[in-house]
Amino acid sequence: MIRVRALSKEFGMRDNGAGVLALSDIDFEVNDNEFVTIIGPSGCGKTTLLRIIAGLIPYDQGEVAIDGRAVTGPGPERAVVFQNFALLPWADVLANITFGLEVRGTPLDECQNTARHLIKLVGLEGFEKRLPKELSGGMQQRVGLARALAVNPRILLMDEPFGALDEQTRRLLQEQLLLLWEEQRKTVVFVTHSMDEAVMLGDRVMLMTPRPGRVKEMIDVPLQRPRSPQVEKSGAFVEIKEYLWENLRAMQVGES
Amino acid sequence: MRQNAPEVLALLGGAALWEFLGWSLGLQWLPPFSKVMEALAQFVGSGVILANLGSSLRGLIVGFSIALILGLVLGSLMGRYRHVEKALDIYVHALFVCPSIVFAPVFFAIFGLSDMARIAIIVVYAMFVIVINTATAIRTVDPSLVEMARSFGCGEAQIFRRILLPASLPLVFAGIRLGVGRAVKGMINGEMLIAFVGLGALAQRYGAQFDAAKVFAIAMVVLIIGLVSNALVQMLDNRLTRWAG
Repeated sequence: MIRVRALSKEFGMRDNGAGVLALSDIDFEVNDNEFVTIIGPSGCGKTTLLRIIAGLIPYDQGEVAIDGRAVTGPGPERAVVFQNFALLPWADVLANITFGLEVRGTPLDECQNTARHLIKLVGLEGFEKRLPKELSGGMQQRVGLARALAVNPRILLMDEPFGALDEQTRRLLQEQLLLLWEEQRKTVVFVTHSMDEAVMLGDRVMLMTPRPGRVKEMIDVPLQRPRSPQVEKSGAFVEIKEYLWENLRAMQVGES
Repeated sequence: MRQNAPEVLALLGGAALWEFLGWSLGLQWLPPFSKVMEALAQFVGSGVILANLGSSLRGLIVGFSIALILGLVLGSLMGRYRHVEKALDIYVHALFVCPSIVFAPVFFAIFGLSDMARIAIIVVYAMFVIVINTATAIRTVDPSLVEMARSFGCGEAQIFRRILLPASLPLVFAGIRLGVGRAVKGMINGEMLIAFVGLGALAQRYGAQFDAAKVFAIAMVVLIIGLVSNALVQMLDNRLTRWAG
């Protein structure tokens, strides 16, 4: 379980001491095997929040704990999927997927076996020896996803993973992620700026407000699992999406 | 072969022009190309070149190796650590901009007429461009790759070996190539000015005798050293950084 209590984060501004409050008094929990999506206008600190949970940046006040243990840095139970993929440009697909395993000293043949299994799972067969630059964006993110899954984390932290992809690719990957999640039921925290994506994927949607970043509301998504793309036509889906839009619209009026 | 045609033609044309100007102008400082080649053949035949070439190359290899190691280490530290860069940047840039030959008298004073003096000159010639390129290369590595590595639990040593080193290689090699060129310059300058051995010393001697054909013949040898060492680095570069092409 991920537990965040009274979390605040300030980014320093030069030397004069005046900082920018990026996150203020954040409180929420993510249960095991739960899929939580985080949505909010830009500047609401959703990516900062994810990076704090990932242990990539420190926080000032409050508490961030995983199974009761305070987060002080990255850990083997968590893996991150990045918005810009963050693939090694000199390494082929196979080597990119095994990166996390290799740095943890996993024997080579075990790395290879895991990678081959994942390559099949995310549909990259035949591309093992390709370099990232030879792949489309969607395929690159499949590599990013496979790399995260390779270390078999219990918690998957996804930072707008499909944000850099075109609409069609994005929808395909959403469907695949849903299938994958049905199989593996990892705990997922998924940051997005797409309302469809937030509702389609999440068990709950966390709505954030900007300046400073705060949790506005946790919204339950009572849509059945496994979810098919048809779910978008259901009343509940449309209703939640509209509710999100009302809120997001109100936050952004006067700003854009 | 066909793709090298322009280069071959340019070289043949250059030689022909040189030959023509040499004969038609009759200047003492511009002997015809064939005379230069003749002098070169004589040098090679008598073994003079080989002996001096060996001495020069030894200095070049030792000097360049020291410059390379110091350059990579210093550059890496400066590129990775802000405070190291702040502390050293002014010195590195000052020494880079300063004509390295002004250090010749200093090294002469320290090391006397020894190999150490000319090696030291090669080091100052070659090192700083490698430092600067390496520092820039490390500093401009995509920070999201470093963050990715950290998310998988990499410590500083692993980040360096698995991310910074491979990611910075293309730019580092650009620095190494410039460094090799400067090392060859340093080698000749050092030999001409303070250590009277090697090819530089030969050029110095024949220069004093106004024997232009022989001076040009030595220049040819230096040119070939420069081209070959550059080609070696290029080969290594192509092999290691194919992904960046």
